[in-house]
Amino acid sequence: MNYVECFRAVARHRTDEIVITSAGNSGQAWWAATRDSVASFYLDASMSLSTMFASGLALAQRDLKIWAFMGDGAFAMNPGMLMVERQMNLPNLTHFLVSNRVYGATSNAGLPNAADNDYAAIARGFGLERVFELRDLKTLNRELPALKASNAPGHTFVVLEVEPFSDAEQKLEQPPFDGPELKFRFGRHVESRTGCDIFGYRI
Amino acid sequence: MTEKTANVATRIADELASCGVKLVASLPDNWLMDVIKTIERDDRFTHVPVNREESAIGLCSGAYMGAMGSAALMGASGFMTVIYALTKINYTYEIPLFLMATLRGAVGDHHKHHISNGLYLRPVLDAISMPYQIIEKPEDIGLISRCYHHTRTFSRPMVVLFTRDLLRRGH
Repeated sequence: MNYVECFRAVARHRTDEIVITSAGNSGQAWWAATRDSVASFYLDASMSLSTMFASGLALAQRDLKIWAFMGDGAFAMNPGMLMVERQMNLPNLTHFLVSNRVYGATSNAGLPNAADNDYAAIARGFGLERVFELRDLKTLNRELPALKASNAPGHTFVVLEVEPFSDAEQKLEQPPFDGPELKFRFGRHVESRTGCDIFGYRI
Repeated sequence: MTEKTANVATRIADELASCGVKLVASLPDNWLMDVIKTIERDDRFTHVPVNREESAIGLCSGAYMGAMGSAALMGASGFMTVIYALTKINYTYEIPLFLMATLRGAVGDHHKHHISNGLYLRPVLDAISMPYQIIEKPEDIGLISRCYHHTRTFSRPMVVLFTRDLLRRGH
């Protein structure tokens, strides 16, 4: 699948999900697909942190459905995160592993063992049960609604098999937010959706 | 677990609970085992053992964005691995984070393999302008609350460092 087209398709199936992206291509693609500036947190941190961040949010707010994107480059740096995700087994968390088989944020640099990495098998090896692989848009459009609708009883892991960004796509705009602005935009949205009090004061 | 160390662990747990901490993400350090076991048994907390220290940083930072109080508990060696995560998440986005770690390599630590932590832990904290508070006596455990609340004012991370004398109480 084309990376950005895949994200546009995922975005069309989104209803009220909160989204966490990882550094690099997933943030660029989600921004290109949605221009969402309140219900998406563009976590400009690589090296595997997006789904742990999403897990903390999903634990704190069980009524919010959380989608977290992570590239396979980030995943390679900390696959043990799946032990934690499996242990927490949060039914409101979906981990989208974006498999482009390269380090996309660094000019598509080579990923170790790229051709043979079987992310779904790794996930199953950690005991995950709700594991899905979506390799083309037709399958994605057919299966994502059902996958969303049955997002229970546990945590969901979805491998999106996509092509690396083209040279033109590498130039897609990065989400144009400084960190604190994004924190407050996103946090205020979470507060309004849940009634929780993140910052200790209301404007 | 001796009566003295159990008492310290319970007081640390009570102090965390008084701050509104609900989530504790931990990795082990021998000095911390009584604290970890105490928190694991305590229904006031969701205790999540994590696979590496950076995962604790991510988890607790996300919990903050869901209005859940949290603490990350780890050894000094583990702390030395999380500088990227702290600076990338907690400094960039100004997300508060409360950490507790061991002051390994200081006077009283019998282990030679922690000499590097004795030499470099505090200089690393200074290098990233991260405030820390050393807690070495049971009567100072109340400082946990002050430090936790400071993270919310400061909108960045802070760590309390527990000494061997506090956690092992002569053992």
